[in-house]
Amino acid sequence: MKLRQRISRSTPLRLTAIFLGIFILSSAASFGAAYLVIRANFESALEDEIEQTIDAYRDLHDQETLLRRLKDDVEATDSELTILHYRPDSGTVIANVDGFPPVRGFTIVGEKAIEEGDDDVSDSYLALGARVGRGQLIVARTREPVVVLGETILSVVLIGLLPTILLAASAGAFAARNARRRIDTIRKTLGALTEGRLSARAPVAATERDDLTEISAAVNNMASAQEALIGSMRQVSADIAHDLKTPIQRVAVILDEIARKTTLSEKQQDLLDQALAETDRIVQTFQALLQLAQIEGGAVRDRFGPTDLREIAEDVADFLGAEAEERGYRLDLTVTGDGPFIVKGDRHLLTQALANLIGNALRHTPPASTVNVDLWRSPAAITLRVADNGPGIPEAEREKVLRRLYRMEKSRTTEGSGLGLSLVAAICNLHDARLTLEDNDPGLKVLIRFGLDRDDVR
Amino acid sequence: MKILVIEDDRRTGDYIADGLREEGHSVDLIADGAEGLVQASVGNYDILVVDRMLPGLDGISLVKTLRGARNRTPVLFLTSLGGVDDRIEGLNSGGDDYLVKPFAFGELSARIAALARRPQMQDEPTILRAADLEMNLLTRKVTRAGQPIDLLPREFALLEHLLRRKGRVQTRTMLMEAVWDIHFDPMTNVVDTHISRLRRKVDKPFGTDLIETVRGSGYRINAE
Repeated sequence: MKLRQRISRSTPLRLTAIFLGIFILSSAASFGAAYLVIRANFESALEDEIEQTIDAYRDLHDQETLLRRLKDDVEATDSELTILHYRPDSGTVIANVDGFPPVRGFTIVGEKAIEEGDDDVSDSYLALGARVGRGQLIVARTREPVVVLGETILSVVLIGLLPTILLAASAGAFAARNARRRIDTIRKTLGALTEGRLSARAPVAATERDDLTEISAAVNNMASAQEALIGSMRQVSADIAHDLKTPIQRVAVILDEIARKTTLSEKQQDLLDQALAETDRIVQTFQALLQLAQIEGGAVRDRFGPTDLREIAEDVADFLGAEAEERGYRLDLTVTGDGPFIVKGDRHLLTQALANLIGNALRHTPPASTVNVDLWRSPAAITLRVADNGPGIPEAEREKVLRRLYRMEKSRTTEGSGLGLSLVAAICNLHDARLTLEDNDPGLKVLIRFGLDRDDVR
Repeated sequence: MKILVIEDDRRTGDYIADGLREEGHSVDLIADGAEGLVQASVGNYDILVVDRMLPGLDGISLVKTLRGARNRTPVLFLTSLGGVDDRIEGLNSGGDDYLVKPFAFGELSARIAALARRPQMQDEPTILRAADLEMNLLTRKVTRAGQPIDLLPREFALLEHLLRRKGRVQTRTMLMEAVWDIHFDPMTNVVDTHISRLRRKVDKPFGTDLIETVRGSGYRINAE
């Protein structure tokens, strides 16, 4: 079963098996046909011989002479080659065996049907019975050469085929392993590309050009195109950000000058503050989009270092806790066990991810709710969890909220850029951490799980 | 102070230059990177304010070249790019601080003041004082008018930061970066909450306010 699976999964192995099958069948067919033709020729020669022998006895018209000749011939004939059996209408049987079954027309008679007595007989005979003189004559010639011929051909086939089969099978397996290795490198390259490492390339040997080399080259071309595209997209978004931020900066400058250089009524001051808050939000969204692009680019990975999740959790809980309490919320941090809670990562990004999650929880739950932040370590992972008792996110929406700028209908009225969770998702992805959204019954539980079985986490 | 502003956007450049002049600084404004590099090398400035994207020569290369020539004038980067990488790249190239556009003038002014005084952090004091407030950095005890004040670790760090920079405005962003190591805008008035909690312990019971709010900028502990 396992071998069958391996064969059906590997193209070279499957091809080898198919070609081997075809080769065996065609060899068997050609040797088989040769054997049949030779056997037919041999048997018709035997038939002629038998008929001629019988005719020779028929030519003796005198019964006395016939009987005498037969007696002489029976004495002289080796039963292993030829059996003579004459049963006269009256008198004793003249034969070189004890008994022979009656035959009609040419018949193949096996050793078992013959009463051999003291005589040696061969495995198989071709026999013909005929009325000769006043009695029934059976002449049987051994088919031994035909049988030997069959065996010879079979052994020729086996001796010829076996090495061929072994050679073809091992060559196929070798080619399959070779191809598998090369396919594996292509697959690894594709995996790296999927994870955002756009600089990954499949090795392309300059000397041999075959289909796999072509595929590697095609993968590399695709990756280069992708890299160039992403690069120009980044450039474009950086350009857009720059071009748009300059006018936004000017608006902020003008608003600031109004505030500083003119005397405003309270109403005007209020409107001015609102305008400033709106420019802040525009900038915030830009900032988040730029940051997302940068995180997804993956270059931040080069700067990863040992990062203490406990310190981050304590900083963020303290920072956001004060305001949460003032507004009537409770923000509880529970660290279970002694850790260590060190992962390889970027402190600022992980801080931002956790702050976003807690901020979301505070924003989407009614006042007087409790937001629980938990940090614990198991043999396999370090897990950070933010749980609230708010309205939660319906299961069908959970995937979608991680997309950029996606906001659920009912949260359109609340604050936030709609980028918070996609930023968290991108940060988790960058850290090879698993982000899951679960039901807190009621509310939402967000878990970030940093696997410990990986090499990049200590 | 003598300040060189290298900023290609006219409106922003004028705004920065005018604002700094109003504060009593002497300001030169240049819109081109290459020209800016020449001016920065020969002008003997106290502070450079450099936009990251400039015609002629970009801000990062400008500062790298300057540092290569052993010019240690403090540099404040201005930028439209605010990603983690951009910040780090800016600081790695030799910049001393980093400000993302758009910014309020108060933020710029506070950061320039902080940069100007950075070098004079000589001998480490063990007791910080402001009026009748005393903070012992060794025993980590705080008293005001002789009465002990109980502070949480982060409240202590916040007060220490303000005391060490007595008389200088600290913006919300500066406090956030220094005390909680947070480098993004949380979009809430979280820092204000922490300050008001600190005030409840440090100012309220004693009648006079040490921690002063500077409108449009941040907070400061008065020098006298």
